[in-house]
Amino acid sequence: MLDYEFLLDDFFIALSGVPITLLVTLISLGVSIPVGFIFAIFRLDKSRFWNKIIGVYVSFVRGTPMIVQIFIVYSSIPVLLKSFFVLLQWDTDIYKLNPIWYAFIVFSLNSIAILSEIFRSALIAVHREQLEAAYSVGLSTFQAYREIIIPQLLVVAMPNLCNATTNLIKATSLGYAMSLQEITLRAKVAANANYNYVEAYIAIFLVYLLLCSLVEYGFKHYEKKLRFYKFGTA
Amino acid sequence: MLRIKNVHKSFGKNEVLKGIDLSIDKGDVVVILGASGSGKTTLLRCINFLEKADQGKASFGEVDLDLHQAGKKEIQSVRKKLGFVFQNYNLFHNKTALENVTLGLTVGRKMPREMAEEIGRKALNKVGLSDRYDYYPQQLSGGQQQRVGIARAVALNPDIILFDEPTSALDPELIGEVLGVMKKIAREGTTMLVVTHEMSFAQDVANRVIFMDQGVIVEEGSPREIFSNPKEERTKQFLRRILPEYTYTI
Repeated sequence: MLDYEFLLDDFFIALSGVPITLLVTLISLGVSIPVGFIFAIFRLDKSRFWNKIIGVYVSFVRGTPMIVQIFIVYSSIPVLLKSFFVLLQWDTDIYKLNPIWYAFIVFSLNSIAILSEIFRSALIAVHREQLEAAYSVGLSTFQAYREIIIPQLLVVAMPNLCNATTNLIKATSLGYAMSLQEITLRAKVAANANYNYVEAYIAIFLVYLLLCSLVEYGFKHYEKKLRFYKFGTA
Repeated sequence: MLRIKNVHKSFGKNEVLKGIDLSIDKGDVVVILGASGSGKTTLLRCINFLEKADQGKASFGEVDLDLHQAGKKEIQSVRKKLGFVFQNYNLFHNKTALENVTLGLTVGRKMPREMAEEIGRKALNKVGLSDRYDYYPQQLSGGQQQRVGIARAVALNPDIILFDEPTSALDPELIGEVLGVMKKIAREGTTMLVVTHEMSFAQDVANRVIFMDQGVIVEEGSPREIFSNPKEERTKQFLRRILPEYTYTI
């Protein structure tokens, strides 16, 4: 039988990990939205060289499991940093660094690749003719993007952005591999004492479901607002 | 007012423009005729720098520039002297009719909003859309959208308005309203360079007709010269093919 009392307790323990999960998600999105957007523009407008480089990067991120990316960053960056610090004769213990910094790096690097592809497809969907129209009335490229391209691009990209965000929230659960104090780790550690793992998994399940549902609702609402100029289409 | 010289443009191996010279004076209404693929649209797009010509010189008023090498600043300043009406309207989807017309003024030219809206409303009234200021493009018919497109070009008070097949994407019953508007602004003395397949417009409104074929200007002259007394065999062939279809009158 399930231990309902523990389930309830563990649910709140899991909830206490939400701020860390959200922080990692928001920082990663904050980094990857502008960078991913610039990458997308580079891939469409600039030289073949950048297109290739970014293409390889995207393939690397898409073609390897998240957990492997975490292990690579978590094990290689400290070594690199340490030799760097030794070189500069800085006396810092790199191994005391909060794992959240590694989480920021891994999840940002990952999201940049995902979002650059989302923005690239959205740019292709609105780009050319609206841009030409903006040029024809004397707007600069920057003004055209600000007034015309980005507002339309967001509408196209919104469903995919929602998808990427919920995927990112769920992916942060892998942060337990670098002992990041997020939802999954906290709830699981609490279950260790009495082996209440089923209860812990149910608690974790519910917290992610709740979190992702809220995010989804938020995106839907925002998308509706952005679509103000579309009529008679779903 | 506008002179272009020796414009060349290729897409890959396909040479679309093979050395075009053209000059337009103030108040001219010049119509370019020609079969599909003759390079009419490409010529217009090169003039407005929507395509980069491989070679060619242009002078706009007293400004001389190279159609291949012009810098960003030069391009933008030339574009501010030209209006462009697109075949498929290309209205800004996320802006109302009035915002479409005023955007080039408020953002492109930093004009105060009230002043721009005053001009924008006048332009929309001129094209007969005084009751559609706050409609989004998706709420307008094709003919109405194209009239907003024309108002958008007119509002900027450009030296020349370039029309790229403005009625080709329209249902036949909507062509008349757009041609009517074009006729009206032509009569007001607007300088226009029009690519079209509407022979009636060329005959009634143009003061000069240019016939293009395979990337060169074959013949040019007054509408009377071109339509009733074409000299070149290629022009004759084209007119024979197209004139039976010409039944539309405004």
